[in-house]
Amino acid sequence: MLQLKGVRKRFGELEVLRGVDLDVARGEVVCILGPSGSGKSTLLRCVNLLEPPEQGEIFLEGQDICKGPGSGTGESSWNLDFVRQRVGMVFQQFNLFPHKTVLENVTMAPEKVLGNSKQAAKEKGTALLERVGLADKLGQYPERLSGGQQQRVAIARALAMEPHVMLFDEVTSALDPELVKEVLDTMRELAQEGMTMLVVTHEIGFAKEVGDQVVFMDGGVIVEQGKPAAVLDSPREARTQKFLGLVLER
Amino acid sequence: MQVFLHQFFDVGFMVEHFDEVLEGFWLTIQIWIVGAVLALAWGLILALLRQLPGKGVLPVRFVTIAYIDVFRAIPLLLLIVLIATGIPSLTFLPKAIRIPEWLGKPDPFWYGTLALTITYGAYMAEVYRAGIEAVPRGQIEAARSLGMSHRQTMRHVVVPQAVTKIPAPMLNELISLMKDTTLVSVVALNETLQVASDIQSHSYNSSALTLGALMFLIVILPMARLTDKLIARNQQKITRGAHIEVA
Repeated sequence: MLQLKGVRKRFGELEVLRGVDLDVARGEVVCILGPSGSGKSTLLRCVNLLEPPEQGEIFLEGQDICKGPGSGTGESSWNLDFVRQRVGMVFQQFNLFPHKTVLENVTMAPEKVLGNSKQAAKEKGTALLERVGLADKLGQYPERLSGGQQQRVAIARALAMEPHVMLFDEVTSALDPELVKEVLDTMRELAQEGMTMLVVTHEIGFAKEVGDQVVFMDGGVIVEQGKPAAVLDSPREARTQKFLGLVLER
Repeated sequence: MQVFLHQFFDVGFMVEHFDEVLEGFWLTIQIWIVGAVLALAWGLILALLRQLPGKGVLPVRFVTIAYIDVFRAIPLLLLIVLIATGIPSLTFLPKAIRIPEWLGKPDPFWYGTLALTITYGAYMAEVYRAGIEAVPRGQIEAARSLGMSHRQTMRHVVVPQAVTKIPAPMLNELISLMKDTTLVSVVALNETLQVASDIQSHSYNSSALTLGALMFLIVILPMARLTDKLIARNQQKITRGAHIEVA
């Protein structure tokens, strides 16, 4: 489904990704853990080309998305359309469109990008918002919603593009503790339905329960990866042990 | 005191010349509205050109930035004279463009409108830019990650939010634009200043000019109050930590 080979990315002097290899099978949930600055978010952003990698290859459904005309420039090219129609992303800060209602947030891209009719987009959007438990909020503006509700709208918005892979970038980190569960529940359901997911998170419990694979990153490389039970309960690497110790101590 | 009042505030004289000055002021309003609409549109185009992404359009960005810098630096009065004296001599242009008399307006009206649009387009571009840059980066990333093109992102996500952030500075520019229409009198357009100063030169009484100033006040003062209100409202939002307008 998704393969990364030797992916490197630098911002000026700082090399954020120093050669990352990763295999994600269809329907797999991969949870990425690591301290801040370890390159987790950048890795996700490389996968949907918000930050095109400088070196290495990323295969999405067999296609190398880093090659081809216009690749690396971050601008329109075949691979950008190819990727963005297959990969959905949810952000830490929700990034809902504040000037649009909840339903319009979800229908905008299907209408403008996929060319769905207003009616079709509306039906799909309504169904998706029902699925994330927000059927009563269709006409509201995002600022009237709680953080957890906003994040569920953001998930519905990404799903409306019918992605094959979903990227979650610390989607519960900006939420009040009591709102975290409703978002994680939505993600859990999505995983059960067989969605391929890359999840950058600090929620160890979620990683353990839902993850098929856990990846621990530090300093721009993958330090350790494997089954959640193995990595989280009996980590081999000292850096992983230290990080988990600090997180679980809280 | 008597002399002072007679020179500047001769009410009888104002009443006598009210219709003439009002006619001039009506032309002021017209050139203001046409100039404002064109400058708002042109400024938006400039601002969008300036934001074009990618290396291929680097020359476009460069030319746009150069345009904005140049026309913010050239005095508007000089530009008006330059256009009104230069364009009629460009014999290779068709007469309808050299000496435009569209919509029944005399050619100085259109020379003035052109100069105002050129200059205020550059000012407006800067105002739009401030609004566009005040839209959080995450909005663009969200739109792009949904597969929207740069153009769709600007049109449906960035610009609608940008314009809600800039009403106060935009109003300020519109006020300046209105006052600067008086500069077009230099090429003999019969707007407020031209009419009033004609009356003054025949009668040696300045009250017609005062009357013109009063007409400006009546339109501009409410706009200035509104601007202040918008800025104050925005200030409140900032202290509450909500979304920020550029004031």
